[in-house]
Amino acid sequence: MSGADRIAVTADGDWTGDVDEDEGVVVNWFAGEGGAVDVGDALCEIQVEKVGVDIEAPADGTVVEIVFSEDDEFTIGDTLAWIEPE
Amino acid sequence: MANISTRQLKSMYDDMVTARYYEERLQEEYMEGKQPAFDISAGPLPGELHLAAGHEASGAGVCEHLRDDDTVTAPHRPHHIAIAKGVDLKRMTAEIFGRETGLSRGKGGHMHLFDTDVNFACSGIIAEGCPPAAGAGLAAKKRNDDSVAVAYLGEGAIDQGAFLESLNFAAVRDLPVVFVIEDNDWAISMPKDRVTDVENGSQRASGFDMPGVRVNHDDAVAIHEAAGKAIGRARDRNGPTLIEVQVHRRMGHFMGDPETYRPEEDQEAATQRDSIERLAEDLRARGVDSATLDDIESEAHDRVDEAIEWAKDQPQPDPAQAHEDVFVNPPSGVTDSEPQYELKRGDD
Amino acid sequence: MSQERQRPAVERELTMSRAVVEAIAEEMRDNEEVFYMGEDVADYGGIFDSTEGLLDEFGHDRVMDVPISETAYLGAAVGAAQEGMRPIAELMFVDFFGVAMDQIYNQMAKNTYMSGGAVNVPMVLTAAVGGTYNDAAQHSQTLYGTFAHMPGMKVVVPSTAYEAKGLMHNAIRDDDPVVYMFHKRLMGIGWMPAPQGPKTPVPEEDYTIPFGSADIKREGSDVTVVTLGLHVHRALDAAAELEDDGHDVEVIDLRSLVPLDTETIIESVEKTGSLVVVDEDYRSYGVTGEIVASVAEESLADLDAVERVAVPDVPIPYSRPMENEVIPDSKDIEDAVKALE
Ligand SMILES: Cc1ncc(C[n+]2csc(CCOP(=O)(O)OP(=O)(O)O)c2C)c(N)n1
Repeated sequence: MSGADRIAVTADGDWTGDVDEDEGVVVNWFAGEGGAVDVGDALCEIQVEKVGVDIEAPADGTVVEIVFSEDDEFTIGDTLAWIEPE
Repeated sequence: MANISTRQLKSMYDDMVTARYYEERLQEEYMEGKQPAFDISAGPLPGELHLAAGHEASGAGVCEHLRDDDTVTAPHRPHHIAIAKGVDLKRMTAEIFGRETGLSRGKGGHMHLFDTDVNFACSGIIAEGCPPAAGAGLAAKKRNDDSVAVAYLGEGAIDQGAFLESLNFAAVRDLPVVFVIEDNDWAISMPKDRVTDVENGSQRASGFDMPGVRVNHDDAVAIHEAAGKAIGRARDRNGPTLIEVQVHRRMGHFMGDPETYRPEEDQEAATQRDSIERLAEDLRARGVDSATLDDIESEAHDRVDEAIEWAKDQPQPDPAQAHEDVFVNPPSGVTDSEPQYELKRGDD
Repeated sequence: MSQERQRPAVERELTMSRAVVEAIAEEMRDNEEVFYMGEDVADYGGIFDSTEGLLDEFGHDRVMDVPISETAYLGAAVGAAQEGMRPIAELMFVDFFGVAMDQIYNQMAKNTYMSGGAVNVPMVLTAAVGGTYNDAAQHSQTLYGTFAHMPGMKVVVPSTAYEAKGLMHNAIRDDDPVVYMFHKRLMGIGWMPAPQGPKTPVPEEDYTIPFGSADIKREGSDVTVVTLGLHVHRALDAAAELEDDGHDVEVIDLRSLVPLDTETIIESVEKTGSLVVVDEDYRSYGVTGEIVASVAEESLADLDAVERVAVPDVPIPYSRPMENEVIPDSKDIEDAVKALE
């Protein structure tokens, strides 16, 4: 598997403009490494400024790496996980 | 300006700046250990915390008329009312920090504050303070003293049976009770017009043949005036009154409330109208200079800082104390022995 | 009892709240007559995420915010249910049952019986239960025993996302009133982190879990621990610790209190001879006493030793050291198991 084929799951979305803080925390993962996901599936839930936000799978594929685990703090825009597309 | 002395205005101002600063400090303490992830059970102050920024005028304006022997029951958002009623700030703070020297020895927390010295209590179930306030009024009436009782509730509580039943009970018995609705437009995420068809909570009074008054601004002076009439009426044994005062919820319902349901304009409007600033203007108009106001404020801050520092130094309760205070008498009641009678039965 | 059956491999994990919502949404899609009423259930999505996202799909007519009038809206749920609709009505915290108990136990629970079966009340009463976050005496109770004591209501307590979904489907489809008590600490809410355990794989399709089928969450031969809700996870933690000390603990998750699966408990006690009942409700006149009595009635000879672990008969205190004192933790369960010897 070549790294270049992987798709990053990033901590951003429509909501990014509404928040002032740039730090967030991963609250729940709904898929594990090796798990198959469909585009649009909720992959994980993050909390930014007390608001919970779902991060969705950007493509059909397999979660090959989770970069930030539950309770980990990240900066908005960080790559939370990698998906290898189908 | 109506029947109010400069001394009273200053006293209300003191209560209000104390309450505002107190809650700012509590908020800081509460957020410790809760960032960046908000975990309600983390940090030195766990559990729910309902702050009252924007409600201060209703605490000060009403309680300015009250004596220590008058009773106040407050709801889940109690600090501004407690402060205005003269609850011991140090012991209240120790209670909120869960310490042994707190008002309730750490058993109650911020929603369940009891200060018997000034007849103050609050409670976390909606409208629950209304019947006990009626009861305090009943006791005063039976004993023929001239104390009164005030029950505070939110506008969300006006649909609850305990409130409506208490209005009727107080009215039919002419009890010396004043019901004060603090209308901050929201019950958590529910706007008033989603849950009731009446525009003003004070309209509830007419169904019970009781005066109902609405104060349309969180103006401490106007609230003071309306409360003065109602409390005077109660003290003169002319029966209960329902007052509704407009206040503002400057913050979330509780700490940690994301307020995603709340339009930004509404949130902004709530912080623009500040009753404390309004009262400061009233005081200046009376010739009180800014230096005097600053003094009141800085003394209030000192008292608050001192209370918080004191509270944080207080001991945690011994876990074993959890088993105490369920009763005041022994479980057996006032006796542990039973007299010996010979009971003659008819068919013996 | 249920471990034999073959489940298809499921990867997707859900928190308990999402599993609850998935079941409710599926039922609402299938049946126009299902609707949800409660305080802050629409725009807020439920204080404990019990209705998160439902408003978007179903609108304010079917996901109804209600006045803070529990007597009115819980009673209205009874009335609508008797008309054949399938309301789900939420009590934000179970502790608030007091203001509306008449509608719950004199109407919801009794109308079927009082009518000789002519009337039925197909509603679900959901309620958040439990402590562990210092919310004090009026917001921390479970009151499992209070509801289970009074006849006429089925009482269900999920401990994982998998169970939460299957039990919710069964609750909504049931023609009788079901009290569905979810523990706040298990929901997987961002601001109230759950322990390990309640987040589980959850099948996408709908499925029902029968009431009265306890689940053996861990098999063991030395001691039977019977519990429910949050304490299933605390008991599993205790069992893992005890394993190192040579105690082989069986953990039974009741999943429902009414009906109660005494058979699974008795079979286990016949094997182990020792019983520990763990409950987050008050000790006296409650779940622990009931389970011990049921086993004693049917199988006294098998019972060598018994312990109860529950909240001592005091309201839940606010302060952290005192709350920790009264709510059983895994150490208390370990101690109880060790005390059996
Ligand atoms: C009987 C009962 N139902 C529901 C609640 C949950 N609850 C706590 S505060 C609140 C909203 C109260 O709104 P309002 O009375 O307007 O007061 P505010 O919080 O706005 O000051 C609700 C629904 C409760 N404590 N008691």
